[in-house]
Amino acid sequence: MAEDAFEAVMGAHHAEIRRYLLRITARASDADDLSQETFLRAFRAYRALPPGANVRAWLFTIATNLGRNHFRAQSRRRRAYAAAAWESRADAPERADGQALADEARAQVERVIGGLPEKQRLAFIMRKMHELDYAEIGTSLRCSAESARAHVFQALRKIRRELDGHLPTGTESQP
Amino acid sequence: MSRQPAVCREIEPHLLAVATGEAEAVAAERVEVHVAACRACREELHHYRAVEGMVRTLRRAPLRGDDPTLARAQLASRLADVRSRVVGFGIFPSALGPVLIGRSEQGVAVVQYLPAGGSLTAHVRRLLGEDAVEDRAATEDLQAELQEYLEGRRARLDWPLDLRRMRSDFQRRVLEATGALPYGAVTSYAGIAARIGAPTAVRPVAQALRWNPLPIVIPCHRVIGSTGALIGYAGKRVELKQRLLAVEGVKTVAGPHAFRVPREAMYTLVHGDREYCVPTCGALSTTPLSKLTLFGTRERAESAGFAPCTTCRPDLHPLPA
Repeated sequence: MAEDAFEAVMGAHHAEIRRYLLRITARASDADDLSQETFLRAFRAYRALPPGANVRAWLFTIATNLGRNHFRAQSRRRRAYAAAAWESRADAPERADGQALADEARAQVERVIGGLPEKQRLAFIMRKMHELDYAEIGTSLRCSAESARAHVFQALRKIRRELDGHLPTGTESQP
Repeated sequence: MSRQPAVCREIEPHLLAVATGEAEAVAAERVEVHVAACRACREELHHYRAVEGMVRTLRRAPLRGDDPTLARAQLASRLADVRSRVVGFGIFPSALGPVLIGRSEQGVAVVQYLPAGGSLTAHVRRLLGEDAVEDRAATEDLQAELQEYLEGRRARLDWPLDLRRMRSDFQRRVLEATGALPYGAVTSYAGIAARIGAPTAVRPVAQALRWNPLPIVIPCHRVIGSTGALIGYAGKRVELKQRLLAVEGVKTVAGPHAFRVPREAMYTLVHGDREYCVPTCGALSTTPLSKLTLFGTRERAESAGFAPCTTCRPDLHPLPA
């Protein structure tokens, strides 16, 4: 039955889709709501999905659309919150003292990700946190694979720029 | 930021691709040759690799709030609710034009005549809203039975019904009374009103039947005007009513404004009686249609469980065919 198959889809992908939504909204309650909505929409459309379709990428597309609608609704306030929330993750536990410098740089990465323009942020998170390929990201963002790649690279450039001075040097010891 | 030489600007995207492990072999080789000679780009590649390393670490780091348990439990509950409401539908050609059949977990929820041509999707969305999902396979068995019914090879559609689309308890009562009309029989709107104990509610009965979500299955085509005229079916498609009645053996004749069922050519049953008569038996010819059920043939009356009247003996003196 299609319904049993959908149970399997939820089992396989719900946690990851919620994690993605948590990353892009930076708020557990939003991730809860949007992940539920993603799967309710998916359930309605699941029977029409062609056999052999890439279900994971399809779910990311639904989640991305819902996330973007959510951002539009929340507008600037949410963006500011997201940036702040990413920043607050720097206080996460499990930080050994010797790691302080690296952690600070990582926190800086998180801050930069939180402040990226929407498409770059989504493309970056899909690529670097969830390892989707560029064609899948392009489908989610309604752009070409090339544009998706450009968004990710642009995000990397910004992170690199923001970390200027925090990154290790020392290539001179190499030939 | 200092101005880069053109060659460094040109190689920068490849530098990034190498750092992220996405460079093709030719580009990787170009980068390798370039950074061997260019200190600034070598440093830049090193920085990008460091960024990539941080991002990798970030991906593996625990994420605050990463507990899907509550969301999953809420989703299971909401999904159960959606599942019970979702109507899987198929659209099939039929002798009466395109027909939509939709079924939910609980039973058949909707049967609808669709306009020929035009955007069926928009029509279906209006009809069923977001609970509709196309699922032809789920309704193919129903379609086959409906086809048999329309060809006169089946007298009953014994489908489990989902009556949650009823607009009111009144409509439910009207449709239940209509559902009790036997195959091959007709009565009037006033007859249905009388049977549900609301003899003055003739117009509300007509309205309730107008919004019948399950035409054919709940046979509102067996309900006619008090003069016998076929009025009101699927908008203005009275010809469908005539065709459905013809399949069941109910004759119709052309009247001044519409086709009508000729009482004088119908076997007649007084509501509540167990015996059917010829239409001239006793005072039947002056009895209001609301008190009667008319049958096109004796076979239909008898297969509905009624016996021939022992006075007028329709079994011995049948109406002319």
